[in-house]
Amino acid sequence: MLVYKAKTKEEALGFLNKYKDKDCKVINGGTDLILKIKDKKINPDVLIDISGIRELKNIKEGNDYLFIGSGVNFTEIVDNNLFDNNLKGLKYACSLIGSPQIRNRGTIGGNIINASPAADSVPPLLCLDSSVIIESKEGKRELKLEDLYKNKSQLWLRKDELLTEIKFKKPEGYLSFRKIGARKAITISKLSISTLVFLTNDNIIKDIRISSGALARLPIRELEVEKYLLGKKFTEKNIDVAINILQDSIKNRLYSEPEEVLKREIVFLPYKRSAVKKILREVLYESINKGEVIA
Amino acid sequence: MIKISLTVNEKDYTLNINEDKRLLDVLREDLGFTGVKEGCSEGECGACTVIMDGKTVNSCMVMAFQADGSNITTIEGLSKNGEIHPIQQAFLKEGAVQCGFCTPGMIISAKALLDKNSNPTREEIREAMSGNLCRCTGYNKIVDAVERASKEVVK
Repeated sequence: MLVYKAKTKEEALGFLNKYKDKDCKVINGGTDLILKIKDKKINPDVLIDISGIRELKNIKEGNDYLFIGSGVNFTEIVDNNLFDNNLKGLKYACSLIGSPQIRNRGTIGGNIINASPAADSVPPLLCLDSSVIIESKEGKRELKLEDLYKNKSQLWLRKDELLTEIKFKKPEGYLSFRKIGARKAITISKLSISTLVFLTNDNIIKDIRISSGALARLPIRELEVEKYLLGKKFTEKNIDVAINILQDSIKNRLYSEPEEVLKREIVFLPYKRSAVKKILREVLYESINKGEVIA
Repeated sequence: MIKISLTVNEKDYTLNINEDKRLLDVLREDLGFTGVKEGCSEGECGACTVIMDGKTVNSCMVMAFQADGSNITTIEGLSKNGEIHPIQQAFLKEGAVQCGFCTPGMIISAKALLDKNSNPTREEIREAMSGNLCRCTGYNKIVDAVERASKEVVK
C-alpha cells in the first residue's frame, strides 16, 4: 500500500488524478475506513490522507449561506456557535455521533462520502437542502447533496474527485433531529429523523423538509410526507396522516428492494413503522416549538 | 516503509514504519508505550485513547502515517519526576481501578477534560468519559475520581 499525506488541496487533487486508475482511497478521520482496512473488507493500493489540509477545515458565514469545509470534524461543529439558534438540529445530530474520541476525528465530509444509511449528520444536511462542492484537477462542480445520493448503489463522484465543501442557505425555519440507538453513547442509529419547519402566524406550514436516516439504503428526503404537510395547518390530525404516509413509504420502499434485501430487512419493518410514530411527532413539535420539547 | 516523525510525551522520535500500521501499533510495538491498551480495536472501548495535538483520539483509528508531525501524550507521559499525576492519585484514592485495563484510557480522557475544563460537573465528566468503557467498576468510582482530581489538580 502506498500512502501520502497531502499538505494542500492541490496536492491531494494531484494524487487523486495520478492514481485514478488504481484502487485509491481518501482518508481523513479514518473512523470508518481504518476498520474496513483492518477487517480486510477493502485493500486499497493507495491511501491519500487529507487530515492535514487546513483549507478544508473552515466554517464560514456568508450573507445568505453557511459553508462547512469537508474536513471539519464533529467536535468543531458542536463547539461552533454558528450552529446555535435554528440550526441546533445539526449540532445535536453531530453531538450524538460515536464518542468524544470519534467526534474529534470523524468529519462531516467523511460522513457524507462513507454513505452509511445511518450517517447522523446527513438527514439535517438534507433538510437544509445542502449542496456539495466537488473538485478535481479538471475543475469544480456543485450539486445537491440529494443528487450525490440519487443512485442508491453508487455516489455521483468520479475517482479523481474530492468533496471539499458543503454549503446551505441559512433557513427561516427551525431544524430538529432525533435518533434511536441501543444506548446513549457510541451507538449507531437504528433510525433517525430530521425536520425543518416554518409556520406562518396562523399556523400554516409554509415550508417543510423531512429527512430520515436508516429508513432506506441512504439517508433521504421524505418527499411524500413533505408534500402532504406543505400548505396545511399544523394540527394533530394532519400529523397523524403524515405519520401514516411515512409508515407506508417505509413499507413501499422496502417492497421495491430485491428479494434478498426484503428477506433480510422485513423483520425490522414492524419496529421501524412503530418507532417513527413517536419520533416524527417529536421532531415536528420540536421544530415548531423552536427547540422546546413537548412530547 | 515510510519515515515519520512524532513527539511522544515531550520526546521526539523519527522512525520507519510499515504503511499499514496504526498509531496504536507504532506506540506499542515500535516505541514500547504499552500503557496504551488494545481492547476492541474498533473505536468502541477507548482503551487505546491518547491525546493527539490536544484532543483525545482512539489510537486504533488513526493510521500511523497520518500522525506524522503530531504531538502525542500517553499515560506514560503523565508522571513527573517519579511522582504520579494527581488524576492517577485520585483514581487510587477513590478505588476507581479494578482490573486496570481501561484505566490508562480513562485517565487520558480525564486529563483532556480537565485541561479544558478544570471544574466540570458530574454530567460533564460522564460525557467526557463516554467513549471509555469499563466492565468492572460501574463508573461511579471513576466519576468520583475525576471529580476529586478536578479539585486537587493545581495548575
